Amino acid sequence: MHTKAHTVIPIQPVPYSRSRQAGESQTVLDQITKDFDDNPQAMQYFYDLFQKVYCQGEAVPHEGMLVGTTCIQAPEELIYAFGATPMRLCNGSYHYDQRGGDFMPAKSCSLVKATLGMLSAEHVIPNIGKPDLIVNPTTCDQKKKSSAMIEGLGYAVFDLEFPNVKESEASRVYWQRAVREFAQRLRTLTGKKLTRKNLRAAIAKIARAQVAFRKLHHFRQLSPSIILGKDAFLVTNAYFFDNIDSWTAAVEKLNEELAQREQDGIRAVQKKAPRVLFTGSPPIFPNLKLPLLIEESGGVVVADETCSSNRMLYDMTAVDEWWLNDMVDSLADKYLKPCTCPIFTKNDDRKRRLLELVNQFQADGVVYQAFAGCQVYEMEVKSVADAFNQAGIPMLYIETDYSPDDKGQMSTRIEAFLESLKAKKKRQA
Amino acid sequence: MKPNKPARKVAGKSPTNVPVKALHPHLQALRDAVNQVDFNRFRFWFQLVAFVLFVYGGYLAIDLGSKLPFFSCGYNKEGRAGVCYLLPLQHQLGRPLAMLFTAAGLTILTGFLTFALWFIVLNKGWCGFVCPLGTLQDWITALRKSLGIRYAKYSQSQFAQLTKIKYVLLALMILIPLGIGGGLFSHDMSPPFCLICPARMILPVFTADFSQFTVDFSTKTAVVMTVLGMLVTALFLVGSFVKKRFFCFFCPMSALHYLISKAALFKLKKDGDKCTRCGDCYRVCDMEIKEIADDVTTKDIMTDDCTLCLKCVASCPEPGALKATFCGIPIFEATEAGFIQRMQKGHSDAH
Repeated sequence: MHTKAHTVIPIQPVPYSRSRQAGESQTVLDQITKDFDDNPQAMQYFYDLFQKVYCQGEAVPHEGMLVGTTCIQAPEELIYAFGATPMRLCNGSYHYDQRGGDFMPAKSCSLVKATLGMLSAEHVIPNIGKPDLIVNPTTCDQKKKSSAMIEGLGYAVFDLEFPNVKESEASRVYWQRAVREFAQRLRTLTGKKLTRKNLRAAIAKIARAQVAFRKLHHFRQLSPSIILGKDAFLVTNAYFFDNIDSWTAAVEKLNEELAQREQDGIRAVQKKAPRVLFTGSPPIFPNLKLPLLIEESGGVVVADETCSSNRMLYDMTAVDEWWLNDMVDSLADKYLKPCTCPIFTKNDDRKRRLLELVNQFQADGVVYQAFAGCQVYEMEVKSVADAFNQAGIPMLYIETDYSPDDKGQMSTRIEAFLESLKAKKKRQA
Repeated sequence: MKPNKPARKVAGKSPTNVPVKALHPHLQALRDAVNQVDFNRFRFWFQLVAFVLFVYGGYLAIDLGSKLPFFSCGYNKEGRAGVCYLLPLQHQLGRPLAMLFTAAGLTILTGFLTFALWFIVLNKGWCGFVCPLGTLQDWITALRKSLGIRYAKYSQSQFAQLTKIKYVLLALMILIPLGIGGGLFSHDMSPPFCLICPARMILPVFTADFSQFTVDFSTKTAVVMTVLGMLVTALFLVGSFVKKRFFCFFCPMSALHYLISKAALFKLKKDGDKCTRCGDCYRVCDMEIKEIADDVTTKDIMTDDCTLCLKCVASCPEPGALKATFCGIPIFEATEAGFIQRMQKGHSDAH
């Protein structure tokens, strides 16, 4: 008699929500939402968004063609002007970081590896669909070299040529030309024309988001803080993939609530909580390890100088006469001149910006995160530390990556650092 | 993992506790209102009023003397409300050389002092807000804009070369009259700069005086000078159509201003610590002055090409990074709210 004894039970594909990767996101999101009391209600929009996109793997919609960006130096206004949607591909997942090890040497930047890992995955999270074009600004060596690898994975890649020297007129002109070439490429891609009207609308769209961001940013100057850094990072992380108009509306709503909180005297931290400025390699969800550790240990991240947050949205475009050429050149200038990325030869602007942020936000100390293998940030540590030292501002340098292994020893160091900030504050009071 | 730098205790005040002077609420409200003003519109009306005053004020018997630090052209005999200092200066320098060293020489000194007194009040603000020839160029720019034509720019190397021309013109404007006084040059060349200055031909036109549009055939020198004047005027009209504030770049008055601008009461100040070098100020600068964005150490940021039009201040999003001060008191300051308001206005006006 034939039985079913030999029937092979097929391996059921695990639903995404039960995968290791979703678990990683869920853990961090739970930490963000549940480990803290009194989260602003308006943050729920962002908590839900990350729940859907990162923990459940829901598809992220977009309008028109999809243009992935691997860096904030790609002018988003141009992408919107061509009716396409930009999405930032920089990834913060440890799961993808490990996958990316197939492409890059072990000692390279987690962010670059995670981005490669994500692009090589079958089901990409965030589930944005396959980009019609990936624009890769030629910034650090690792991003430069990943360009060909991304192409090898079957994506169309545009290398947006970015200069290494910021101050010279030659590089300014070179960059303007590169931006024009990018516009040309977008034109061939979309088959649409760049017009004064649609570029102006795109600039206005981003300006509105920037105004909302700046308002949020300024609320963080209040002491004691009324919003935590982990929430601010989540908000700016959402900008990577969220629909820009809904994002802006959600931030505006958050701002309204914060204005109310300010009036009501509600604060998010203890009065003496050490105020921390965050700089260096960008925290990207779910890798919010360091900001979370700081705030779980009683500190508060009041401002940052990172390309996943402040640097991405702060500087705004001004145009004198609204001609197409003028707008494009203005955009090019905005994306190059104020940039404090460590890939440039000099970092005077970055140091100046950091000191000013400490000043504006009354920060008690600075936490400098460098991803192991992110050479440019590692190399700038000395000069930045010297600048802070001279100004009498304590700085903690932490070299880390996406792995959760070093959390224990990191938390010890952070606690000690925050204690020293508190002690210093007490002495000064 | 590398050891982190231990924080060292530093004597002296920490930069965090900068005391902020609180203003009286009314004063603060006034200051906010000024800082958020629709700057371009304000400047347009200010310039228009100044233009009418100095081109037609003469009809109302207004006479503010002959030592004015801007082109209130003396050739506009009927309408002028005062005379540009360059005209009497060249005449005075053109006297017989021996006279320069007598008591008559003193009049040059007193004349210069009167000019300097006028000048220090507004500094180069005379150029950006009052000079009729400057205003006229802004109107030509507005005409170009309304025709949908884009403007031209210099490259940085062209800029670096051309910016020296105004000093050459200033030197010639002083040396040629001295040469005339010394008998080296013909009197038909006097006053040399006025003869080639576009204001001489253009401003009288506004009072229906076209008499300057003639070639003087009396002598060879006169022919050369008047023809040169016509060419410069033509160049002025074409130049300012394609290039914002085309003439100001070469203006010897501007060079003269700069030489004494240290003493001025009205100043353009920059706080480099607050600057992110975003370049917004440079983008809107009619004179293409790059230092305004890139120089983060100079406090007194007005350069020799600046017309102190303050468009840079209006387009700066960093609070307090740029400001116009009078005797050290901030008059008009960069604010984020002002920037945003003006930017949104720019979007809606751009149609």
